[in-house]
Amino acid sequence: MASVPNDRFSQDEQRRNADHISFLKYKRFRWLWIAVLVAVATTIGYFLIDQDPRPNGGSWYGYTLGTIGLGLIVWLSLLGVRKRNISQGNWSLKGWTSAHVYLGLALIVVGTLHTGFQIGWNVHTLAYFLMLLVIISGIYGVVVYAKLPTVLSSGRSEMTRGDMLEELTVTDRQLESAAQPLDRQQADLVIAALGQDVFSGGALGRLTGAYPGCKTNRALSGFSQSGGEVEAKVHALLSQRAEQLGTIRGHLRTKALLEVWLFIHIPATIALLAALLAHVISVFFYW
Amino acid sequence: MAFLIRTIATAKSGRKVVRDRTVENSELIVGRAPDSDIHLPDLSVDLKHVRISQSAGGSVDVEALGTLGFGLDGSMVESGSINPATGGEIAVGSARLAVSSGDDDGKVQIVIEQVAKAGGASDPVQGFALASALPSKRVMAWGFGAAIFVLLLSVPIITHLLRSPVENDPDNLAQGQVVLDSAWSAGALSMAHHDLEENCEACHVTPFVSVQDETCLTCHEELGDHAEMPRLAEGMAPLSTGDAIQWSIGETLGKEGPLGCVSCHSEHEGPVVLEAASEQFCADCHDALDTRLSNPNFGNASDFGEKHPQFRPQIYTAHFAEEPARVSLDDNPQEMSGLIFPHDIHVDDQGGVARMAISLGQYGAPLECSDCHSEWTSEELIIQVAETGGRPSQYGDFAPVNMEASCEACHSLVSGRAGDGFTSLRHGNVDDLMEDLASLDRGPRRPVVSPRGRPGQFAQGGRYYSNFGRPMSAYIAINRALEPTGVCGECHIPTSTDGRRDLTPVNLPHRFLMQGYFDHAAHGDDVAQCTDCHATDTSSEATDLLIPDLASCRDCHLGESAAETEEITPSSCAMCHGYHTPTMPWKPEDHPDLPGNGGNDSVAAILSSLRR
Repeated sequence: MASVPNDRFSQDEQRRNADHISFLKYKRFRWLWIAVLVAVATTIGYFLIDQDPRPNGGSWYGYTLGTIGLGLIVWLSLLGVRKRNISQGNWSLKGWTSAHVYLGLALIVVGTLHTGFQIGWNVHTLAYFLMLLVIISGIYGVVVYAKLPTVLSSGRSEMTRGDMLEELTVTDRQLESAAQPLDRQQADLVIAALGQDVFSGGALGRLTGAYPGCKTNRALSGFSQSGGEVEAKVHALLSQRAEQLGTIRGHLRTKALLEVWLFIHIPATIALLAALLAHVISVFFYW
Repeated sequence: MAFLIRTIATAKSGRKVVRDRTVENSELIVGRAPDSDIHLPDLSVDLKHVRISQSAGGSVDVEALGTLGFGLDGSMVESGSINPATGGEIAVGSARLAVSSGDDDGKVQIVIEQVAKAGGASDPVQGFALASALPSKRVMAWGFGAAIFVLLLSVPIITHLLRSPVENDPDNLAQGQVVLDSAWSAGALSMAHHDLEENCEACHVTPFVSVQDETCLTCHEELGDHAEMPRLAEGMAPLSTGDAIQWSIGETLGKEGPLGCVSCHSEHEGPVVLEAASEQFCADCHDALDTRLSNPNFGNASDFGEKHPQFRPQIYTAHFAEEPARVSLDDNPQEMSGLIFPHDIHVDDQGGVARMAISLGQYGAPLECSDCHSEWTSEELIIQVAETGGRPSQYGDFAPVNMEASCEACHSLVSGRAGDGFTSLRHGNVDDLMEDLASLDRGPRRPVVSPRGRPGQFAQGGRYYSNFGRPMSAYIAINRALEPTGVCGECHIPTSTDGRRDLTPVNLPHRFLMQGYFDHAAHGDDVAQCTDCHATDTSSEATDLLIPDLASCRDCHLGESAAETEEITPSSCAMCHGYHTPTMPWKPEDHPDLPGNGGNDSVAAILSSLRR
């Protein structure tokens, strides 16, 4: 039983390492090296093997690359299934994700060589560009996952999302009561500002941070700081509201930039699988 | 006059709080201003919004004071009146003012209630997720996936299966019936097949069956095989391991193998013009063909400058031979044409022949090659093909030498006078000749009546003069003519058939090199003179074969990889040989649909020709 503490220690150490090593560095970049090997080997083969009359998806080497590419695409897309099942060991989700990222990068080389650089307006090229779209959105996803979460937590100055909304609600209440003495026209501006949904502006607004339809800013331009006591107060409250909205929108932008890739990656993957099916069947249907 | 105002508020707990007060006045002001009789702290309400007044008749008049109207029993109005007995509801902002006659006499009761704001039930924090601003990933995924599956896969397959197949007609390449299958095209077709761009099923006839040779031959039926099939496969260069595996799988699945049409003529490579095969393509098999073919009857070849067999023209190697035979120029071939013709005497610009030619108006100068040898005119060739069949190319560049046109000016067959002109022996048939000679009056004879001659046309030399002497002299003339020293023997070799004098038949092939092609037009005066290649000035016998040999061609033509200089022309196999038409060189320019050949001025064709 003396060996138990030792075992326990190494086991814990392993777990700690596993917890803290990112999927990119998994097993000392094992999958990076495998991916580099695949890419280099297929490239060397492409240039060394005589393909008559020219490199083409229909030569034997083309079929080989196509089969590898098809296998990779199907396996890569199974991450969505795999991540919903929890297991550990060599095929832990971290290992799987690591392989997903690096083999996905190698797929750029395999898929491009499979095309033989013959591009056209057809289902085959559609599949190729969907594949590139999926991979590029994936690369973007990895990059933003590495960079943006820090921005996300620092940008909201220790507030939760609920806090941010609550703060805005308080301002809105103050604004509503401060605006009571206002005439019709100015009251309408305040109503419009209060009535607008915090999250309005659409996906484009979130991604760019530009909200040309923002009614708070429009209301702000209808009040002058140097007007009457009421007007100045409403102006101050509207400014405060605009500032709070700015914080929320900054947060929204970071979050949108962090999440948008999946809205391309996932639908494009399914579209790719459909295009791939059409590609493979059409090639042999019209053999 | 007074109003009873009852305010109902709903506490957070949901309990209703009712507060009553009485306003002793005949009219009320409803508005956001704090001094209003009914104060509504709602920004959508005007500072002074509505005046409610009791009229003398007992009804209640309602009138908007600001720019906004108000709701009266559900409709937006600027003013209106309510009969308290029946009651009515005024809507101002989010407040509802129910007007009715109160319990106390003379008082109008107004019950004020706030309408609850709708919405806001869901978790507001969820709005932070981008998902709240975009269509769901699942919807997008299924949408795109289904669109591709239907448009780019199902529609072409279904329309292909449901079409009614039509026989291919090269003159009428109808639009295909399959819908959206152009999205399957891996690239534009070659220029020659451009018309089939929208008719995929013309070639892709059966699903999952590769394009078959049989289909190609529905239009290209006239194309010849390069060799008979088992022999072609026997001579084929071995495949690489990868290709061998691919073909074994492909052939198992119905592909026609590496010798099928599409194996070389791969399509969908863009709007290209079919190029001549490279030297390497030919050399792949022909470089060491003897190691694979059991009985090769031709030599190996891989490069015209370095490895090419000696030419083997086809000639008649014996008199009376039925068929010509191929003889290598290395084997000192003797052509037994049946003719006697020394080229050297005829082309000498000093000798008797030259003198004679100078004296004749027809020539006026020593003889040149072109005085006897002329290229076919297209009319002549058409007549020739119509009479004896075959392809124009098998008749070569030059028309046969015609005795009457080319020889007779000197080698006259004139036999006598007839009126103002001459009679002439017919050439070409010994029977005709005998007939002509038999009717001649050559021998001397005594006059039938003496001593006076007959008058006019009956006199000797006149039209009706007749020789009634014995025909002996005519037979002598026939025998003389057919002797080696006779008039026929000048050019022909006498012989005898069934004991009768005759001439050896003339056997001259139209073309000598049948497995390759020499284009005289491409070697015109600016390139070479006839005598540079054909040694006529030293040939004293008709048995000399004046076909230039391999070495003389190599003075200018070396293999494809040779460096081009002023003298040297790099020459691939296709310059003289065709794959499907061995007697013709590679000539894609003949195709009317190719750019530069008229009949096609599409932008793609023009671009393609520019690129070339």
